[in-house]
Amino acid sequence: MIKGYAGRVLEVDLANRTYAFKPLDEDSARLYIGGKGYGTRLLYDMTAAGIDPLGPTNPLIFATGPLNGSVAPQSNRFAVVCKSPLTGGIGNAACGGSFAYGMKRGGIDILVLKHQAAKPVRLDIDGDANAVRFIDADDLWGKGTYATQEILGKKKYHAVIGPAGENKVLYAGIVSNERIAGRTGVGAVMGSKLLKAISVSGSRKLDMDDEEKFKEYTKWLREMFRDHPVLGEKLKRYGTAGIVNTTNARNIIPTHNFKYGHHKDAMNISGEYMEDHELVGIKSSCIHCPVTCGRDVNVEGVGRVKGPEYETVALLGTNLEVLDLKKVAEWNYLADDLGMDTISLGATLSFTMELQERGMLNAGLHFGDHHGVSDMIKDIGHRRGLGNDLANGVKRMSEQYGGHEFAMHVKGLELSAYDPRGSFAQGVEYATTNRGGCHVQGASMYLESVGPLTINPQNLKLKADIPILQQNLACTINSMVLCIFTTYGLIPKAVHNLDPNSFTHKLLSLAFENSGPLLRAAMSIKGKPMLWFEKWLTYITGQTFSSGHLQEIGGRIFNLERMYNLREGLTAKDDTLPPRMLYEPTFKHMQSGHPLPQLLPRYYKLRGWDAAGVPTQRTLERLQVRV
Amino acid sequence: MSITVELTYDMSKVLGVRSFEVNGARTVQDVVRLTRDQFGAEHADAFEKLTRVAAVAVNGVLVNHTRGMKTAIADGDTVTFLKPAAGG
Repeated sequence: MIKGYAGRVLEVDLANRTYAFKPLDEDSARLYIGGKGYGTRLLYDMTAAGIDPLGPTNPLIFATGPLNGSVAPQSNRFAVVCKSPLTGGIGNAACGGSFAYGMKRGGIDILVLKHQAAKPVRLDIDGDANAVRFIDADDLWGKGTYATQEILGKKKYHAVIGPAGENKVLYAGIVSNERIAGRTGVGAVMGSKLLKAISVSGSRKLDMDDEEKFKEYTKWLREMFRDHPVLGEKLKRYGTAGIVNTTNARNIIPTHNFKYGHHKDAMNISGEYMEDHELVGIKSSCIHCPVTCGRDVNVEGVGRVKGPEYETVALLGTNLEVLDLKKVAEWNYLADDLGMDTISLGATLSFTMELQERGMLNAGLHFGDHHGVSDMIKDIGHRRGLGNDLANGVKRMSEQYGGHEFAMHVKGLELSAYDPRGSFAQGVEYATTNRGGCHVQGASMYLESVGPLTINPQNLKLKADIPILQQNLACTINSMVLCIFTTYGLIPKAVHNLDPNSFTHKLLSLAFENSGPLLRAAMSIKGKPMLWFEKWLTYITGQTFSSGHLQEIGGRIFNLERMYNLREGLTAKDDTLPPRMLYEPTFKHMQSGHPLPQLLPRYYKLRGWDAAGVPTQRTLERLQVRV
Repeated sequence: MSITVELTYDMSKVLGVRSFEVNGARTVQDVVRLTRDQFGAEHADAFEKLTRVAAVAVNGVLVNHTRGMKTAIADGDTVTFLKPAAGG
């Protein structure tokens, strides 16, 4: 077995209450690393086209990678893969917390949950004893994610759902500690299996190829991260909401259901404001992560809980025009406890408010007014009343009530909190990402709109190139499984320290913007490991990983996801943006919206796809994508 | 010609306001100068320190992607000081 893997896949049949430990497929591990890559390969092979995402034939796959179980910073995340009930295409979500660490301690690389239980159940996995107990979960059914984890105790590592998952809210997630695998409705799939919680324990140690080198390098890297302006300072001090004032200044923070990109009072929900007014502590909810981007705030009547992150403060704050951090923190707590994705939730609420504003639906929800929102969130989680409709997300809401032109989703997944009209590469990424409108499958906006060295986000240069490089990289990051924030370390401290208005800064920005062929060539070189995650993978597995290797593996994963989506009936028509993004300008100099039609052909060509967005046979063979 | 100036969080803490209007500016450089005036001698050091790490945008467009400090502005424009960040 390749080093870094436990070498085992645990398959659980929930209908028959049976299980089996099987060997990890080494070929798949070599080709797809682990995490969402390995999970997607399994899903593709295990399922036929057209299965019901909430039916018994949709497997729910928890997948770790070779970095999980190590002490590498930001490395204890797991991926969940299944067919998405929200999009009908590939479903996946990644989560921090502690469950990935628990799986590796239990000697399990991949956990495959098949079929559906007859009544609520929870799993107790003892990796050392190679045993799985099926425990009736009637006593836990209906409880929130916080209470459920408290009852399960701290001796094991848990992944749980809340009432939203139980009620198959299409954007329900799976929670570990205070982190959530939020996107694409993986929690609804877990709920459809009547599986409330998974607990795992074990005492296995990660077997590395060169532990000495790994330890020595990681010790050095931790020092480097500690001194890094983003990983060691800004995220630690302000959390992810420290980005609010930047996206607001760049006119890309969703406001009034993405009608605008700026709100005059956005500062009230920023990380800086949170630090001054609401913060009661910082912490890391993810094992071995020194970044500590987690915030603690007080919620009235509840006490000290996890504070909202950037996506949450933007989608529930500016986007609803409720600039009250206490309210947003309360809604964030409610969503976490119910177990649902705050991005999809916020976009669905803002869509409902716009329906209300236009007289298309009387939901009692209004922009700028917090009244009714808490109750609606609870109704969504329990699928009560109108909440039952909102529980289906923006796409289905628009099919039911109208409003397609302002329905903010791609492929059925609600957009996250970066307006692509001010971030063209991010728009291409939204349009083409296989799971739909999400930012952490590439995070192109960091290179064009929010980071310390950004290219002009509103011309066509590199706007089809960057998403490909970033999507490929993110595919591998989510397969190791690492936190995407690790990529923030790629821009060195020296660049952060440059005067952002200086000629040197402008020169670097222009050089970057015009680096197309050079950038692509540099990223494709298969040489020695240079970056930390390449070195970690190399030291742990004993195989060589460099930028070129990761781009190739990432491209393989991305194309396999693409083939899965095509098999499920998605087409190039789904590679689009909401009409509001394409036709409504938000910047003074703009005549229209995002120039996607000008960029998509180049994206397809660079990907090795035909004009219909289908990977050519040559591309599939080059990347060894078996379909 | 009225221009709205929006400050970074740190700048707003020094001045006690988040934004203000300035008149008579034709370029970003003029706005920076008028903003410095708002800080006055009392907060001159803070202004220098805080603007050294702040980029400038006009209506959401970074001036380093246009004509820098020479970027022209028009009535009703918003000039924003901002700090690069990371999150998500």
